[in-house]
Amino acid sequence: MSASKFLVAAAAISMSATAFAAGAHGEGHGSGRSGHGGGHGAATGEPGKASEASRTITVEMHDNYYEPDSIEVKPGETVRFVVQNKGNLVHEFNIGTPAMHEAHQKEMMMMVEHGIIQGGTLNRDMMEMDMGNGKAMKHNDPNSVLLEPGQSREVVWKFSDKGDIEFACNVPGHYQAGMYGEVDFD
Amino acid sequence: MNTTLLAGIAALLLPVIGLAGEYSLTVDRVKIDTGDFVKTGIGYNGKSPGPVLRFREGEEVSINVTNNLDEMTSIHWHGLILPFDQDGVPGISFPGIRPGETFTYRFPIQQAGTYWFHSHSGFQEPDGAYGAIVIEPEGREPFRYDREYVVQLTDKHPHSGDRIMRNLKMIPDYYNRQQQTVGEFFSDVSENGLMNTVRDRIAWGDMRMMKADVEDLQGFTGLINGKGPEQNWTGLFEPGERIRLRFINSSAMTYFDIRIPGLDMTVVQADGNNVQPVNVDEFRIGVAETYDVIVRPRQARAYTIFAESMGRSGYARATLAPEEGLEADVPQLREPARLTMADMGGMPGMDHGSMAGMDHGSMDMSGTDGMSGMGDPSMKGMDHSGMAGMDHSNMQEMDHSGMAGMDHDSMEMPKGGASDPFYAKGSGLVPVAANGGKFLSYADLKAQNPLYEDREPTREIELRLTGNMERYIWSINGVKYEDADPIRLQYGERVRFKFVNETMMTHPMHLHGMWSILEVGAGQWNPIKHTVSVQPGTTVYMETEVDEPGQWAFHCHLSYHAAAGMFRKVIVEGGPESAQAKAKAGATTEEGGDA
Repeated sequence: MSASKFLVAAAAISMSATAFAAGAHGEGHGSGRSGHGGGHGAATGEPGKASEASRTITVEMHDNYYEPDSIEVKPGETVRFVVQNKGNLVHEFNIGTPAMHEAHQKEMMMMVEHGIIQGGTLNRDMMEMDMGNGKAMKHNDPNSVLLEPGQSREVVWKFSDKGDIEFACNVPGHYQAGMYGEVDFD
Repeated sequence: MNTTLLAGIAALLLPVIGLAGEYSLTVDRVKIDTGDFVKTGIGYNGKSPGPVLRFREGEEVSINVTNNLDEMTSIHWHGLILPFDQDGVPGISFPGIRPGETFTYRFPIQQAGTYWFHSHSGFQEPDGAYGAIVIEPEGREPFRYDREYVVQLTDKHPHSGDRIMRNLKMIPDYYNRQQQTVGEFFSDVSENGLMNTVRDRIAWGDMRMMKADVEDLQGFTGLINGKGPEQNWTGLFEPGERIRLRFINSSAMTYFDIRIPGLDMTVVQADGNNVQPVNVDEFRIGVAETYDVIVRPRQARAYTIFAESMGRSGYARATLAPEEGLEADVPQLREPARLTMADMGGMPGMDHGSMAGMDHGSMDMSGTDGMSGMGDPSMKGMDHSGMAGMDHSNMQEMDHSGMAGMDHDSMEMPKGGASDPFYAKGSGLVPVAANGGKFLSYADLKAQNPLYEDREPTREIELRLTGNMERYIWSINGVKYEDADPIRLQYGERVRFKFVNETMMTHPMHLHGMWSILEVGAGQWNPIKHTVSVQPGTTVYMETEVDEPGQWAFHCHLSYHAAAGMFRKVIVEGGPESAQAKAKAGATTEEGGDA
């Protein structure tokens, strides 16, 4: 990368870091980037302890859909999800309300615009970069994982009693194309 | 239990028996009522457009086509991968279907998605001989929807195709009503100054082109699924549903800019092939292209599907609504685009004497705003060699004194500095979304699941798209079809085609029988298409894995350009022996040379 190109790239990142900070994360995040889980806990639930999980649900992520694409949980149940990316593209597993997903899609758009997500590649080192304001696009909220093809991770979640909750992939276009699943309460 | 067992046995037998479907189409004289005018035309099974043919991937289809006309006909299955003798091009794949004859097409369905079919004889397609093809995939699709509609567009003209061609040959701007007027000349003078305006006009006159030549066929009524704007084709939905809209542009000549005010669209397929989903506010559909989008109307109200022609001389309109009879606002047509000097960047015949008068603002200044697209990896696919025809060494002879009075603020520039790597820098054609949002670019198209391994092409073939507007001749490398040798490809090679558009019109180039891998700078994720639009003043690359033997048509899909000579026969040499034998047999029975 030539020096001038690097400068342009750096400028682009710092510019949008401002936009990023002013984006969907403006409200309700006492714990900073710890994110959606804390901020909207009442609606969806909270990070759970693996020892309290009543069962394990394996969710496969394909291009661009989940298997299964709906799950049933009991109010207040803690579930251990094993999330596997079986596709050729980067995918997310994110537990939230439709409104939370919509807000998060703006952030994911920036991750694509900055080259952090490129088709089947996730440039994790770029996610660690300080945006100049102490923030980074780490995507480390406990209610979600972002995986490259072939990767597998766990999410342990204690669901709230009820709510309009979906698990969804907010990589641009994926949610709109139908990559979401319903959480039905017993 | 019993039924499960039976189903199991059936499933076991399926691969052996295969799916087989028989379909019948009649080719008929029909009445076409656009709401603006009524005319006779040609249709299938008594109607234009014809029926939606629904196939399944893996199926062996037999399609009986009965010609009820008093002239030869044919059907080409646009975008389908099939044996060349089933491709339906008279003179290349087969002799054609005689009046009264029933011809049975037989081929395996090896793909899924949205396609279409049309006559490849004379001007039967613009006269109404087209329909849609929907192929269900074997596996599940990479997206979800609750209901789907075909949205098939055309540019229905009150004149028959034969009459239009005659008129264009006699008077090339016969149907171009947006020519600049004397009044416009004086308003340009007040904005740009007299000398600049005069020079601008002289430059355009030298090129035998009109600045308003975005569309050379105006005066049409845009139809959606056979309905004019007033007849308002309506698709029903329940609020919250996801709807898959299968847009097909079956126009003879017209590109459309499509939007649905109030709805985001997610593009999931282009030319029948799944692409990584892209959220857009608006997209441009070239002649013969298809785009599948998913929309999700949440409110119980009507939404207008609005398709403005690229040159803004007409529109098609339809409605999505929770019940019949509801309508939403129909937007006004936007101002027509005007070509700029940048759109002539590829013209080698430019007279340098008149370059002094060129509007340099529209060439250079656009760079400043247009540069935003430069960081895009897709720029790799761009080649400015089209500009080589402009000899900059001669620039010294330019009369700079005349430029002193140029008002740089009033130069023609695309509004908002819009840029798209698939348009010439500073082009007047760069599309801008009506709501200021995202307009789809070819650069956004990435294969969802690449069909081919990426590999280096074995060789490059340059195809300059050329024309002489004064005589309405359209050609490739300056040679029209009847005077040209076929393009010979070797089975098993991967050819890189370099399109250099030296004309001022957009050409949708369609290679039959084999996929066009469009170079968008995405490497293995480059999308595959059947029709590739090449904008004025640009160079576009596509690669083709030569994996189908036989002989194929390769042409501009603008009906009157193809007929005027922008057309080639492609011969694939080698490959399976049986196919070669058929190709030889086909060549001996050749008759007619219809485009």
